[in-house]
Amino acid sequence: MRRLVPLVTTALFAGGLALSAPASAARKPILIGLDTPIQLQVGKDTIAAVKMAVDEINAKGGVLGRKLSYVAADEGTDPQLGVSAINKLTSDDHADVLIGGYDSGVQLAEEPHIARSKTIWLGVGAASPNITALVGKHYGEYKYIFRVNPLNSALQATQIVDFADHVVKGKLHRTKVAILGESAIWVRGLVPVLVKGLERDGIKVTYQQLFDETMTDFTPLFARVKDSGAQFLLTILSHANSDVFIKQLYEARLPMPYGGIDVKSMTPNFCSRVNGDAVGETTVNFITRAPITKKTIPFWDKFVKENGRAPVYTAPGAYNAVYLYAWAVKKAGTTNADKVIKELQKADYLGVAGRIKFNKLHDDLDGPGYQNLLFVQWQKGCKRAVVWPESVATGKVVLPPWVASK
Amino acid sequence: MLTVLIYGAVTSAILAMLAVGFTLIFGVARILNLAHGAFYALGAYCAYSFTALLKLPLIVSALLSVGIVAVFGMAMERVLVRPLRQSSLAVLMITLVTALTLEQVLFVVFGSQSKNVPAFVNFPLDVGGVSVDGQRLLALVIAVVLIGALWLFIQRTRLGSAILAVSQDPEAAQYMGIPANRIFTLVMGLSAALAGAAGVIAGPFLSVRPTMDQTAMITAFSVVIVGGLGSIPGSILAACIIGFSQTLVAFYFNPEWTGTVSLVAILLTLVIRPSGLMGRVVNA
Repeated sequence: MRRLVPLVTTALFAGGLALSAPASAARKPILIGLDTPIQLQVGKDTIAAVKMAVDEINAKGGVLGRKLSYVAADEGTDPQLGVSAINKLTSDDHADVLIGGYDSGVQLAEEPHIARSKTIWLGVGAASPNITALVGKHYGEYKYIFRVNPLNSALQATQIVDFADHVVKGKLHRTKVAILGESAIWVRGLVPVLVKGLERDGIKVTYQQLFDETMTDFTPLFARVKDSGAQFLLTILSHANSDVFIKQLYEARLPMPYGGIDVKSMTPNFCSRVNGDAVGETTVNFITRAPITKKTIPFWDKFVKENGRAPVYTAPGAYNAVYLYAWAVKKAGTTNADKVIKELQKADYLGVAGRIKFNKLHDDLDGPGYQNLLFVQWQKGCKRAVVWPESVATGKVVLPPWVASK
Repeated sequence: MLTVLIYGAVTSAILAMLAVGFTLIFGVARILNLAHGAFYALGAYCAYSFTALLKLPLIVSALLSVGIVAVFGMAMERVLVRPLRQSSLAVLMITLVTALTLEQVLFVVFGSQSKNVPAFVNFPLDVGGVSVDGQRLLALVIAVVLIGALWLFIQRTRLGSAILAVSQDPEAAQYMGIPANRIFTLVMGLSAALAGAAGVIAGPFLSVRPTMDQTAMITAFSVVIVGGLGSIPGSILAACIIGFSQTLVAFYFNPEWTGTVSLVAILLTLVIRPSGLMGRVVNA
């Protein structure tokens, strides 16, 4: 029954279909299929960002004289729904390219279907390294898979270790951490890298626990974290109920600062939504209103103007993906997947959150100038400050109010 | 250990609020109401709508929410259940459909993401050196007060006596001039109000999402099976056993295993004492 609504609401978001110029009207638009959870903010922002890019490109005449249009299918967070979405976009709508993704488990279920359809897929939301590992294992079948955004979870783990070394240990002088994360594919890939890196840098992991993402009472976990002697809590949350997690953590007054990955906390209204209980939480983000590249602030401001809200991490990925695909089609002179793939492999594109270049597994690179994690902290008045890396920092890391007052 | 005792008491209190209403309507009207979890969800969502969307004061929102859930429960009994009361299977189906429909409505109206109900008490309190969320303690107090009030109402008032009479023999009660149908409606209202109140007071510290009715329903069902269908004292006792067991498992073993506590309790009860701890043995 629950699946009925997403199926019914699998909406068609037709964009750029206006037949303004007679010349381009004669030619079929290039269709972008969006596989995304349309009920969630990550999905809404994927669609909004694609619309923005499509409108901009169409206003300049489109690509190869053809307009761009897009159609969305709800993949929810359910593998079955995801497979249906891919089959609909490729078999019924005949999309030229797919952009989307959020849940790694859903993504992995979709991949054989994407491969069979021989349609290029540009990922903008899922982080499991397994997604692109298939490109290396079975290149011929899976060469259509590219990850534009976010960084894969192993790279994210490396950057969190860097944050822990410089901020948790270096600035907050805390050398014992506990890890709490949801039991999801991307987290299971991230934690071993994280633990190894932390211990290499002299940070002891006193407790680690992955929990089911449907869990609603975290108090026993917080008690264990406290008993373990941890001085900092590293969180790894995406699908889990962050609102409740943060509220209960605040109510428990866990005597330590905390932070890590909290996808729901990337949402601009998260802090006010939990009545300010998130003040002190540091979470990674992939974009903020800062001059990361010359395109960042114009993108941010336009997105806010058009949608009345700041973007979450899938938005810059989706926006970049449309431009990247348009660029590759233009270079290839065709939408033929094999030829476009060759151009994408050579791409070195300046996106709104850093340069985008793919490695042999078609995964986006990190490092200076490329897309990197930003560590953003909710501070007094639910204002956000980038606290790491220092090159783009807009504030200094602070302790949660109840820790600071001790 | 004190932490486990406090949190166990809070969990037990919420379970008892859910289970007492569920067992009450079964005990009086023989209605196995599978929409009981939906009352819990409706209470939480009403509280969210009144506080976060309409910006009403908390206490007003809470009272309005409980009232709305009670009216919803009574309307459901009058319009959907009563015409089908001759068939227990039909009643089971109509209450299940009501629950699923309400879940879908919440899903469509509010979306799949969880919502935040503001807490009445948004600070921790020190209980014997243990810092406990104030809202949880308030939930404990409210649960004890409401269940106590219900108990007194049933035992000490004329209307309560009428409810007891109908629960023992509806036909005889009818001959004695007690309007059994009105009693059924009233009891459904009370049952719904209690579940709605549980949603309002637990909403701030637990998750408010469209599927919250499912866990509530399963838990209420487990408690009632263990306590004995139709027995209020049995439900309270079972709520304490399951509530404390879940808390012990969560604190000393693994929080992910708390859900299995209820299921193990059902299995053991059905094998060892099918009528439940305080249920009546009925010979078919």
